Amino acid sequence: MTPEAEFNLGGVVKEQLLELQEFTLLLWRGFRNIFQRPFYFDDTLRQMDVIGVGSLPIVILTGFFTGAVMALQLSATLAAYGQVERTGELVAISLVRELGPVLASLMVAGRNASGMASELGSMVVTEQIDAMRALGTDPIKKLVTPRLVATLIMNFFLAIIADIFGVIGGWIYAVLGIGLDSRQFWSSAFYALDFRDLVQGLTKPVVFGIIVAAVGCYFGLRARGGTEGVGRATTQAVVAASLLIIMSDFVISRVLITFIGQLH
Amino acid sequence: MLSSTSGHDSLESAGAAGPVLRFENVHLAFDGLAVLRGVSFIARRGETKVLLGEAASGKTLLLKLALGLQRPDSGAVWVLGQPVSDLPESRLFALRRHIGMVFQESALFDSLSVRENVAYRLREEHELTEDTIEQRVRRALSFVELEEAIDKMPGELSGGMKRRVAIARALSSEPEVMLYDSPTGGLDPITSTTIMELIIKLRDENNVTSLLVTHRLQDAYLLATHVWDTQNRRLRAAAPERSHTSFLLLREGKVWFDGDGHQLMNSGDDYVKTFME
Repeated sequence: MTPEAEFNLGGVVKEQLLELQEFTLLLWRGFRNIFQRPFYFDDTLRQMDVIGVGSLPIVILTGFFTGAVMALQLSATLAAYGQVERTGELVAISLVRELGPVLASLMVAGRNASGMASELGSMVVTEQIDAMRALGTDPIKKLVTPRLVATLIMNFFLAIIADIFGVIGGWIYAVLGIGLDSRQFWSSAFYALDFRDLVQGLTKPVVFGIIVAAVGCYFGLRARGGTEGVGRATTQAVVAASLLIIMSDFVISRVLITFIGQLH
Repeated sequence: MLSSTSGHDSLESAGAAGPVLRFENVHLAFDGLAVLRGVSFIARRGETKVLLGEAASGKTLLLKLALGLQRPDSGAVWVLGQPVSDLPESRLFALRRHIGMVFQESALFDSLSVRENVAYRLREEHELTEDTIEQRVRRALSFVELEEAIDKMPGELSGGMKRRVAIARALSSEPEVMLYDSPTGGLDPITSTTIMELIIKLRDENNVTSLLVTHRLQDAYLLATHVWDTQNRRLRAAAPERSHTSFLLLREGKVWFDGDGHQLMNSGDDYVKTFME
């Protein structure tokens, strides 16, 4: 490696570390503001409506068709082992542990991390963020904290909704597509889930919600260079949020298995 | 008429003893490129200081430094007796409530109506009743003669109207210091004169201290040679010493000229003469 290449590598690493520091600082300030006056309840409620209610249709559709396709694919494999009646069990476990939280959060990231990055980015390039500071308001308190709180709460409920509609999708296909008995599907799905599945399934969307809001706001607030910069920030926010969701899914699963034991 | 005296006792007493704005040997560089190299000047109460200079000479930066939106690499900035360059962000938010800024492109909040834009700072203070806020908003809008636009959204306004709403928004909390970043940039001559008339009216009626960035020399001349006639409610010509206006010319990151209208017009310096032509 040439000295020049070594130097560049050092520069890139330093730049990435600085970005990580900035991101962590934004996250810390965003959370710290939850407990400091003034409280922006109205802004938080508005964001809960935009993020939660606004994302409901895509999360329902994603959950429903994921459950249906799970039933379709798994039933064929299970039939080979004479275990087709366990379709409900596998659909429920897969959805609650992984697919519900991850896919709902990816949908929320696609819709809202991009929305936050473009909205905040536009405010940066038109000097509205500077104007906000000039008018005596902390933009992190006014813009970032309400989005963090709203996404954290709403993503939790959206993941539950994705799970419910996923199991409904699996049930409809199991009954209509492979002729399973409804009671058999629901009892196998219900009894398959235990406390550890729920802990995993309910912890993940909270963390993913924080990722979506923090990444969206971070890329929005660092947008530079006019409309082109806003477009770039939007793309980066969706890519980074999606990757972080998938990567952190593995980390959370590993950590939770360590603490609450191996799942069946 | 807007008053600039209510609710600012602590800062007024701090700032009354000395200049309202003081820059002391301010240096600032971006990516190793020095933009400001030892800028020092003062502005006294009621004075309007016009900042002149070539593009990218650091004029807007001086406004952002005065507001604490930027921090100098070295040197100090004092506003209303407070060391802006050293204050933590939390204390800056409180100080900024005494400073109004009009941004180059107005920077109105797109999602808020004119009423909500002008009321923004008043609502953030959480101290006033809705009736008082409404009165203050209408008073600020009537000052810029735009009360009829109170329910419009920024997207429905012309460039000149946006600039006037931005002035009303900055005025709503009755600031002691106003910062104008190219308030007439991109506007037609008639609208520009209307905006300058408002700035002169504010200077002479409310005794507000101002920094004003401009590229238009006609604006600078208007400020230096006219005062607001409160009897007849219009501008009238006056000697430059009565206009409480001075000029600061930046060149290569330093103060090249700092003086009143007479000194500027009669300067023998080649760069000043070239700049004024």
